[in-house]
Amino acid sequence: MNIVVLVKQIPDPEALVAIGGDGVSLAIEPKFAMNVFDEFAIEEALRIKARHTGKVRVIALGSGKAIEVLRTGIAMGADEALLLEDEAFLDGDGYATAFVLSRAIAQEPFDIILCGRQAIDDDRGEVGQMVAQFLGLPHVGGIVKLDVTDGRAVAEVAVEGGQETVEVPLPALFTAQKGLNEPRVPLITGVMKAMKAQIARLTAADLGLAPAQAGRSGAKVKVVQYSLPKKKPAVQIISGEPREAAMEAVRILMDVEKVF
Amino acid sequence: MDKILVFVEAKGNEPRKVSLELLSEGLKLAASGQFSMEAVFLGKLPAAVRETLLNYTEKLIHVTDPVLENYTAEGYSLALAGYARKTGAKIILGGATQRGRDFLPRVAVLLQAGIASDVTITNWEKDPLTFIRPMYGGRVLAELSFSAYPAIVTVRPNSFGVGASLAQKGELVEFPAGISPEQVKTAVIKTEATTLGKADLTEADLIVAGGRGLKAAANFRLIEELAQTIGATVGATRSVVDAKWRDQADQIGKSGKTVSPKFYLGAGISGAIHHIMGMDTSKVVLAVNNDPNAIIFSYANYGIVGDLFEVLPALTEELRKRLGK
Amino acid sequence: MDFALTEEQEFFKKIITDTVDRLIVPKAREIDEKEEFPRELWREFTGLGYLGLRYPEEIGGMNADPVTAMIFYEQLARGSVGFAQSVIMNALMGTYFIYRFGTEEIKKRCLYPAMRGEKIATMCFTEDQSGSDLAATRTRAEKDGSDWVLNGTKMWITNGPIADIATVLATTDMAKGAKGLNFFLVEKGTPGFSPGQVLDKLGCRGTVTGELVFDNVRIPAENLLGTEVNKGVEYLSEILDEVRTMTGAMALGIAQAAYDEGLDYARKRVAFGKTIGSYQLIRAKFADMATEMEASRLMVYYAAWRIKEKLSCRKEAAMAKMFATETCLKVVDEVTRIWGANAFAHEYNPQRYFRDARFLLYGGGTHEIIKDFLGRMIIGKH
Repeated sequence: MNIVVLVKQIPDPEALVAIGGDGVSLAIEPKFAMNVFDEFAIEEALRIKARHTGKVRVIALGSGKAIEVLRTGIAMGADEALLLEDEAFLDGDGYATAFVLSRAIAQEPFDIILCGRQAIDDDRGEVGQMVAQFLGLPHVGGIVKLDVTDGRAVAEVAVEGGQETVEVPLPALFTAQKGLNEPRVPLITGVMKAMKAQIARLTAADLGLAPAQAGRSGAKVKVVQYSLPKKKPAVQIISGEPREAAMEAVRILMDVEKVF
Repeated sequence: MDKILVFVEAKGNEPRKVSLELLSEGLKLAASGQFSMEAVFLGKLPAAVRETLLNYTEKLIHVTDPVLENYTAEGYSLALAGYARKTGAKIILGGATQRGRDFLPRVAVLLQAGIASDVTITNWEKDPLTFIRPMYGGRVLAELSFSAYPAIVTVRPNSFGVGASLAQKGELVEFPAGISPEQVKTAVIKTEATTLGKADLTEADLIVAGGRGLKAAANFRLIEELAQTIGATVGATRSVVDAKWRDQADQIGKSGKTVSPKFYLGAGISGAIHHIMGMDTSKVVLAVNNDPNAIIFSYANYGIVGDLFEVLPALTEELRKRLGK
Repeated sequence: MDFALTEEQEFFKKIITDTVDRLIVPKAREIDEKEEFPRELWREFTGLGYLGLRYPEEIGGMNADPVTAMIFYEQLARGSVGFAQSVIMNALMGTYFIYRFGTEEIKKRCLYPAMRGEKIATMCFTEDQSGSDLAATRTRAEKDGSDWVLNGTKMWITNGPIADIATVLATTDMAKGAKGLNFFLVEKGTPGFSPGQVLDKLGCRGTVTGELVFDNVRIPAENLLGTEVNKGVEYLSEILDEVRTMTGAMALGIAQAAYDEGLDYARKRVAFGKTIGSYQLIRAKFADMATEMEASRLMVYYAAWRIKEKLSCRKEAAMAKMFATETCLKVVDEVTRIWGANAFAHEYNPQRYFRDARFLLYGGGTHEIIKDFLGRMIIGKH
């Protein structure tokens, strides 16, 4: 069973994000992390591999520093890693990024593609589905359970008010939601293996892509400018004993703010 | 005239509120002459849903096909892309619902179109059109434009208001999609309800959330009672979910749900940044905490510094009185 | 001069930082409050294999160089000092002499299980009347046939009361002072070897520290850890620099934990309508803390590098330990000021860092001793 996992290195969720002087770029504190949803994807891939034997390949698109998330994948137990590294790949929208990833995935046979349901930097939640469409595969988004048998998979998705069970033939793509599993903490043996690992890199040329098809040039969506959300005025503390404060709060909410 | 195609969905016997919000916005654009609008609904269409939708659109396209019996991303994307091509839509609008965000990216690839997901502000008057969406957990807003059309936009619920219904009901048009069954490989095996009728946090107008300050799972009863009084959905912080007092589905925050209600009450919540990032676009925030230094007060419009074990019941009682319950 | 960590070391740092954040940080407060040895966490963490960090791959270790080891010690201390002390004792001091001098039998029985976390190890120097003054050690070892018989009491022993294997510093002849000292292996279950008083400590709670009693403890000849008798102090010098530098690394970790919380608070806490980080005096505190932490970091990792390159390091290690510790004590103090009254509550972390940091004054050598030693080294015998 060949399993591909798409992983993304994002700025640490606690990293400071500021808008660049030109208004169309971001100045982000250089602290990095693996996208949390991708951890669930890697973990699930490793569990499938344990049950079915096979190979787990992790792929990331990014600059050289993104190698760290690939090493983390190996430390957890992935067999191979691939970095898609090219100036031309950068600053793409979901479409351009998914296009490049799908090209890289298609280079080798695969049965299952796993990725996070969204990256918590861009918060787009598009790439997984788009990769599936580019490759002509069915996908199940936001899975919380996955059972793989010969040539088929049954997935559970949490929907409003309940749970839906869906079956797809393989190959197929699945995006991971929180609750799918508890990602393992790497053992030192994995860490050592990852530290020594030689990681393959591919450029646009290696994938047979013209720069115009990828990254910023290939994007269908452009950033016109960045801005900061409006600052809220300072909090108004409603004083008094619980009963008094409650009365005043309700008065404000109903008569002033007209919330209900 | 350019056409906007609004993808509408239903929940049970009612259209989803976000669908009515989008239709209202579309009606405004149609009235101004900037765009013409069509609403499109896929699959089984309950009569009650149809009738309500027809109050908010001049044309409701009902796309049918055996593959649309259940929702599948493949089926819905083929159906919508097919109709969008046929009708020559310039913009496809959908709610940034779980379903919308799941299949519309596939539509984008099918139409070779760009997509802007989870938009909160639309600038129809600008040229080129721009759409604003939050990134980095809401800390940055990105204003986006498309390099070409058609283009797809999913809009966060509660970003628009629901306007007045039309004086005259719109017309229904049936459209068989003609999808070959082998194109849809996904099969829905079963759907099970776990909780009844709970409004989804992401669409809720009113949310009452509790944190560690409640001290024990049983005390969430205070949150639930208050929520029930005003018809709000109950939310929880990550620490409460990790402690297994509440379900993952209730979690508001970075690895939980992003919410944008009209009103958010947070009790016993310190205001850790990962939680704040999940609710900071709430319109009106009331925080209740016995710690006057709790960070959440910096993100609230109103605050009560006090013991939630006294404040919450007092609020519930006062609300019951005023709402006549 | 290349001050950069290698890509491998950077990656290791990332992983251990994440691992500590995931497994240890969420439990740090509970460990401190319960003041019990966290058996569940010990099982979970040691199961990852890090205890073999400093030992060769062939026996299941990682063969980590001293710089990588410092990264490990620093991150562990950042997570929970109460847990870190126990872990590091097993990873280094409590097992080193067994690794160095133990027979294969002893290694199988003691070292390998300790590396897996299955046995808890400790190293015993301090006694009630002797800490810095090793020569005043009274625990004595008397030869009886081919066996040794140990008598005495050790105090302030990390992991002591729960230890399965103890490396004990004992003297064959008090008159010889430092030149009569040796390391002996004593295992739990040996008649006469028993845990004594458990200390109720200001900080580093969660690590069980206390007394060990040796009452005519008979051990076989191979339990003398050394190729020659009375070479204990020489053997100790093999890891003394690393132990000192390690203490400096722990100081960095504690300082970092406190500093990060101070920073978070300064950015969010509002007073007089502005975040307190907008005020000059608060900014000055961060400027000072950051500068001294930077200097401490350079000193600690430079000393580690010297150990790695097998360059003499007695001076650098002592300086790094002392400087990093003094910096840490300043940082934990400043952070409690930045946090204001909130630092006075057990509910928040700054008070724990404040309490935990004090141990740095004793572990790895007191600063009074270090200063005297450094001064003597610099001025020479005059």
